[in-house]
Amino acid sequence: MAGQTVVPGMREVPRLRTGPSVPAVLVMALVASNASAQAGSIAGVVTTTAKGAAPVRVTFDQKVCGDELPNESTIVDAEGRLANAVVTLTGLKRTAAADIIVLNEKCRFTPRVQVVKPNATVKTTSNDAVLHTTQALLDSGRTIFNVALPVPGIIISKPIGAAGPVRLHCNTHPWMRGWVIVTDEAAGISGADGRFTIDNVPPGGYELRVWHETLKGAPQRVTVAAGKPTEVSLQLK
Amino acid sequence: MWDAWCARCHAADGSGRIAEPTVTVEPMDFTDCTVTSPEPDADWERAIAKGGPGVGLSPQMPAFEDALTPEQVAGFVSHIRGFCKDAGWPSGNTNFPRPILTEKAFPENEFLILPAISHDRDKDDVVVKALYERRFGKRSMFEIGVPAANHGVNEIEVAVKHALLSNHTSILSLGFETAVSGDTAVFEPYVSAGAMLGDWYLQGQVKMELPADRAKADRAFVYNAYFGRDTSAAPTTWTIGVEINGDNRELALTPQVRKGLTGTGALAASVGATIPINQRQERGARWVGYLLWEYLEPWRARQ
Repeated sequence: MAGQTVVPGMREVPRLRTGPSVPAVLVMALVASNASAQAGSIAGVVTTTAKGAAPVRVTFDQKVCGDELPNESTIVDAEGRLANAVVTLTGLKRTAAADIIVLNEKCRFTPRVQVVKPNATVKTTSNDAVLHTTQALLDSGRTIFNVALPVPGIIISKPIGAAGPVRLHCNTHPWMRGWVIVTDEAAGISGADGRFTIDNVPPGGYELRVWHETLKGAPQRVTVAAGKPTEVSLQLK
Repeated sequence: MWDAWCARCHAADGSGRIAEPTVTVEPMDFTDCTVTSPEPDADWERAIAKGGPGVGLSPQMPAFEDALTPEQVAGFVSHIRGFCKDAGWPSGNTNFPRPILTEKAFPENEFLILPAISHDRDKDDVVVKALYERRFGKRSMFEIGVPAANHGVNEIEVAVKHALLSNHTSILSLGFETAVSGDTAVFEPYVSAGAMLGDWYLQGQVKMELPADRAKADRAFVYNAYFGRDTSAAPTTWTIGVEINGDNRELALTPQVRKGLTGTGALAASVGATIPINQRQERGARWVGYLLWEYLEPWRARQ
């Protein structure tokens, strides 16, 4: 069974650290292609019994922002399916995006939630003819950066650091929130239908952790089968 | 551009008072000349370019360096200075780093501890002076100094200083100090001046020491000159310099370093050594320095 070749292949990894030889790299490449051929995936849905928050009433800059904005801190549909939850697969290292773009548009950060690898670059830009700022903060309250975006079209690149989650604020529009989840593990973000996928997962047992900006959920064990999606459901409170 | 970009937090009138505050740290009141006048343009430019943390202030002030040219940043600094509607405040560009022995010309709100450790055999080994300085009016300052030596306190110094002339790069002040001890009083009129020469600070002072009772103390002519520069634009910069110190015919050199100890530079320390150039048989070297606190300035950022 081809799947068995994955296991000895995984054991090759520590040998690489002590000094890779060319054949060893070739073996790894072969094993990697084998692994993707037989890899499974995780497909899941995130739900909650929590209700969405009331819209934000805009009291200044209405010309650009509009009179009312959806409160996107908890986006949940009529069936309780929750958007913007980040599910990470503990122990499966994955190279997430090295660069992401945070767009300030109509006084919202778009996308609201993104995943990047540690020490990635965040490019922040604006489509609005009003001063926005992008302040990136850690849970500790430490500011990683705070840049002004006074004119539409400007793009400012800043390193995000190695630790997350990172919260984004706009100092001139206090309701604006964005999140950058910094991780070197495989991750998926739930869409408006609550669904997420993590592709190319070698078969085996894993722990799923879930992050959401306002809700919490317990970690969950999952066993991924070879060559097919493994369905999970996560509930947050 | 002020109204479009800055007024959301700092208010159209620069006061920082707005109906719907968007930041949690209250912005400085730029209409208050005691806030707007005393620091150099370079500090203001740094605050705009690097954001609050660049000068040890709140990170809620964003960095504009990727969005504005240095000329545009300088334009905003001029605009901010203009919120002080009162003419006559000396330019913060002449608020130079304090030398250890040369009296600076710019009036300050500072509290200092100034230790001096000498190796002369016939003088006090250690003198520590506490010095309180307080501005009044637009251009004036008074100070009270209390030196304490190994045998205790037996002197008090009281002084006033007035910035007579100042422009963007230079300043000249007149001062008058009276040192009263158990023996006699010494009257000390002086002139202090400072100027920028490129990146270098040049500061100088000449002073007469005129004792009320010439049997108890000698007349003296004291002159000090300082030449130094910052090693970076941050408030935490090291500043290196040297003074030449004259007291009648005695001459000495005082090489020194100064460093801002907090992000805002409101705490700073300086250390140097006064080394005699002439009459070296009678005089030894002396360690000098200060610990300085600008007590009206925030010494660290609020988040």
